[in-house]
Amino acid sequence: MDDLNQNPKLGAADRPNSYIGRSVPRERAKKLLEGKGKYVDDILLPRMAHLSYVRSPFAHAKIKSINTENAKKYPGVLNVFTIDDIEKVCSPWQGVLGHLGEMRSPTQYPLAKDIVRWQGEPVAVVVANKRAVAEDASELVEIDYEDLDAQLDMETAMDKSTRVIHDDLGNNLFWTRTVNQGDVGEAFKQSHIVEEVTLDFARHTGVTLETRAIVADWDSSEEKMTVYHNGQAPHMMQSIIAKHLNLSEGLVRIISCDVGGSFGIKVHVYPDEMVTVAVSKLMKRPVKFVADRLESYSTDIHSRCHKILGKIGVNDKGKILAFEIDDLSGIGPFSVYPRTSAIETNQVLNLSAASYIIPNYKAKGTVVFQNKTPMCQYRAVGHPIAVAITEALVDKAANALGMDRYEFRKINLIPDNSYPTKTPSGVPLEDLSHEACIEKLEKMMNISQLEKYKKESLAKGKYKGFSIINMVEVTNPSPAFYGVGGAPISSQDGASIRLEGSGAVHISTSITEQGQGTEAVMQQIAADQLGVKIDTVRVTHGDTDATPYGGGTWASRGAGIGGEAVLKASRKLKENILNIAAVIMQSEVNNLDVQNDQVIRKDGGEGISLKDLAQIVYYRGHELPPGTNAELIATASFSIEGIPFVFTNSAMGCLVDVDVDTGLTKIEKFWAVEDCGTQINPKLVEEQIRGGVVQGIGGALYEECIYDEMGNLTNGNMADYLVPMAYEMPDIIVDHVTTNSGRSILGAKGAGEAGTGGAPGAIMNAINDALIPLNTEVTSQPITPEKVLKALGKI
Amino acid sequence: MKSPAFSYYQAKDLADAINIKKSDDDAVILAGGQSLLPTLNMRLSSPSVLIDIGSINELKKIKVEDSYLIMGAMCSHSQIMNNKEVNEKFPILNKLLAQVAHPAIRNKGTHGGSIAYGDPAAELPAFAVLVNAEIILSGPDGERTVSAKEFYKGLFETAINSDEILTSVKYPINQNGMKLFFDEVTRRHGDYAMAGLVGSIKQNNKINEEINLVFFGTGDRPNEAPKTCEYLLKNEYNYSDIKDTLKNDIDFASDISSSSDMKAHLSAILVGRMMKELN
Ligand SMILES: Cc1cc2nc3c(=O)[nH]c(=O)nc-3n(C[C@H](O)[C@H](O)[C@H](O)COP(=O)(O)OP(=O)(O)OC[C@H]3O[C@@H](n4cnc5c(N)ncnc54)[C@H](O)[C@@H]3O)c2cc1C
Repeated sequence: MDDLNQNPKLGAADRPNSYIGRSVPRERAKKLLEGKGKYVDDILLPRMAHLSYVRSPFAHAKIKSINTENAKKYPGVLNVFTIDDIEKVCSPWQGVLGHLGEMRSPTQYPLAKDIVRWQGEPVAVVVANKRAVAEDASELVEIDYEDLDAQLDMETAMDKSTRVIHDDLGNNLFWTRTVNQGDVGEAFKQSHIVEEVTLDFARHTGVTLETRAIVADWDSSEEKMTVYHNGQAPHMMQSIIAKHLNLSEGLVRIISCDVGGSFGIKVHVYPDEMVTVAVSKLMKRPVKFVADRLESYSTDIHSRCHKILGKIGVNDKGKILAFEIDDLSGIGPFSVYPRTSAIETNQVLNLSAASYIIPNYKAKGTVVFQNKTPMCQYRAVGHPIAVAITEALVDKAANALGMDRYEFRKINLIPDNSYPTKTPSGVPLEDLSHEACIEKLEKMMNISQLEKYKKESLAKGKYKGFSIINMVEVTNPSPAFYGVGGAPISSQDGASIRLEGSGAVHISTSITEQGQGTEAVMQQIAADQLGVKIDTVRVTHGDTDATPYGGGTWASRGAGIGGEAVLKASRKLKENILNIAAVIMQSEVNNLDVQNDQVIRKDGGEGISLKDLAQIVYYRGHELPPGTNAELIATASFSIEGIPFVFTNSAMGCLVDVDVDTGLTKIEKFWAVEDCGTQINPKLVEEQIRGGVVQGIGGALYEECIYDEMGNLTNGNMADYLVPMAYEMPDIIVDHVTTNSGRSILGAKGAGEAGTGGAPGAIMNAINDALIPLNTEVTSQPITPEKVLKALGKI
Repeated sequence: MKSPAFSYYQAKDLADAINIKKSDDDAVILAGGQSLLPTLNMRLSSPSVLIDIGSINELKKIKVEDSYLIMGAMCSHSQIMNNKEVNEKFPILNKLLAQVAHPAIRNKGTHGGSIAYGDPAAELPAFAVLVNAEIILSGPDGERTVSAKEFYKGLFETAINSDEILTSVKYPINQNGMKLFFDEVTRRHGDYAMAGLVGSIKQNNKINEEINLVFFGTGDRPNEAPKTCEYLLKNEYNYSDIKDTLKNDIDFASDISSSSDMKAHLSAILVGRMMKELN
């Protein structure tokens, strides 16, 4: 799609170098396809040692003794450390924030101290000349455990008889919040129809192609810690490593090269990564830790794990009067540092029913501890739960009233002309387009045709169903997300841009590249705004020594916040260039512009190339009159002000076939219409949506961390933990509505999480639509064939 | 996930491989490595030496001899899928192998490896049992033949002695007028099946004279179901009777993919599909 007129704010789009809004091929793709990407595991440093962690085989146990003697004697082993050693250089932390009410999470040590609280928790670390040797010696570390009762089930967490995981806290409650707007009790009484449902969502995880990896290199001569880390927020890591290792923050350098996917998994502080940095400090040499796939499954943060009860009240005309939810979530034994493990539930409370006009809204969230892998924010935090409960209830209410599901939505959606307004939970909303999106979706899906297809299939004994859902997505967060609560997480991002002697333009940005195309997007914005060819622009990112300060990549904020900083910096640089050119060319600034790497005269006549201009400035400054402010570098920052988040919205639908003999669900087609404001590169937006939908398919149908009754993760490998693969991906048809964000010149909102947030609800509703003739429904994700057959009473 | 240290030995020929294997109880044959290498990386075993039989050319041949289709142990799944003779004699093998993992794995994974490994959820062992394949084993004392029906002893347990190598599998081409069936139910394409069935029916004047069923993914080895076959010779297919009879035939064992109930249910569904397709 080459629609150049979609962002009138950015001026005439038919000029040269109008890259914003075009699907410009990305340079970096070639590099990755040729296998030339540079990942943390590619880093080789002189004297580098390798780490292997000895991890708890128990969900809950007392450590009676640790004997490292035999491991230390193993040939090739350099040392073995336990918490007694690590504690001397790395202080513990606590995963609590100050802005969301009381959070109760105890101090967490980088290695287990006295007690282990999940299977996979690191207890000791072996340092050796090779990873294989370190693994050999790990088997020689003797740890004597005394098994303790494990608290696994979130539903029994608060029972009197349940084992309390942290004695000091008195019970297993981490956090709770209630939202109450209007009077739901009264509204339910006045409702014509009240529908209820309870949904549950299994734990799953992010499964990044590249596992977590870190190389730490302590230089005692400079007192400098250089850390190669495949994370999403280099400046956050810089601050945290400095704080807990008691280093000067300016002397901690975080370098993130290529990152093979992150999805929120790599934005948290992990004990094994902090220990890796501590070991480098203790041993005064570079050390590497790369999580293997087994470690990924048992130590990368898990997500979801919710059970949610929902209730909707509707009048006889189909208007929603009340909406109520009660959500329970289990987060493992600790709230994760520094973002905490309250945010997913908080989002469920904020986002449920957020697309609709709901006069009375009540929501309760309870978050409890468990002896399982810690749980925290993963792509589309809370969204899949909020969307699934909302849309399940909306379908139920429409069906109970005998109303068309599409019509029911249309009368309850927040109208496009009513912004600014608020979600039912009270969060400000602006610049959304639910009506435009669902209307476009209805046409794309051709709903009347689908109804016909459904009927004809049913006559042949085939069960097809389809869905239409609406959602909002949280993107471009302001300081209200984390900073206000005390976390060292920047909501601002910066960009610096310079014209070099060669005529090349170089940007450095605080946004990181996780494979999603940050570089391409920043290049496009800069080239567009400066008036240079795309190949002229180079990008540096992911290095705290070389980039401006900023938040990094998470919460769908890179293009909207980091991109705006690049836009502003580019405009400043252009202004500087034109001012200098005006002097050189003896012309009015107004008569000049930059196009295709040349400063041109608007009225014709000879121009000057940016290269010539730069060389005059850099090499022959004496040719310029004294006092010319010849700065060929500009820097700008941006953060969202005046609103907690920039919301976006989407409408999605899917068509499924449910095989009632085998219980297998096949997604025949998936449609999405999303509104992320200005699309800088439509192809990248569409691939974000598609990739997101695929991860949503994973949550809806396949992915689950399965624990046994002892708290052992039983499917921590890629054969037994199922992620959707090419065969499981349907055609995903994507279209757009464009409502620019009024919070920036660029007008871009985020697009990274909508698919993951919306697909699970869309799929569940479509399956339940297919099951209507059989008078049953499914309510538990992943919707496995076995659950479908159970719902059908076949097994 | 780094395997413990091991030695690697590339065998020059069969005799060489057998010699090494005989001299070292902890030596292990390396075929395509698709099952073996992951178990090493997960540190589930620690062999002293891997004997790579990948450069023994005589193990890579597909031949037709004395009314047998003979598959050398080192023929890859892909090689077999692309072989004209196989596709003529046993077109069903192509359909079956297309469900074994994915192309990259099929390029490395071998016929002998799959038969020798004996994963109870694997397709080929069940097929070998169904068509009465003969499995050729070579050891220090020469060659012997074991019928596929006698070959599988228990979970990952086979008739191969520790000093033997599986060299080929012989499939009788004349299947006595049997029509063959294959189907399986997987969560994702290419996964090991929650339950799978290979079956055969011989008919005379549209009357079923002989029925064979071998299930995979259902128990500790390829599972035959004689009582169900007998039932089907006398009665029309009926889901609940078949499910009950199957439970008499097979001790359905739950695994991470599905419960024993699910496996029994799917097995009965698969029998229904077979009766519909072959009748
Ligand atoms: C992701 C994935 C999915 C898969 N899905 C399926 C599937 O759906 N269905 C399926 O059937 N298989 C599947 N497989 C397994 C695949 O088919 C393997 O190739 C096969 O099981 C083993 O063959 P191999 O040549 O790789 O054997 P190897 O891994 O080399 O060996 C396996 C075992 O057999 C022994 N062995 C091998 N050859 C001989 C021989 N000639 N004589 C004696 N012992 C021998 C080895 O010592 C070892 O113990 C999958 C594998 C992977 C990685």
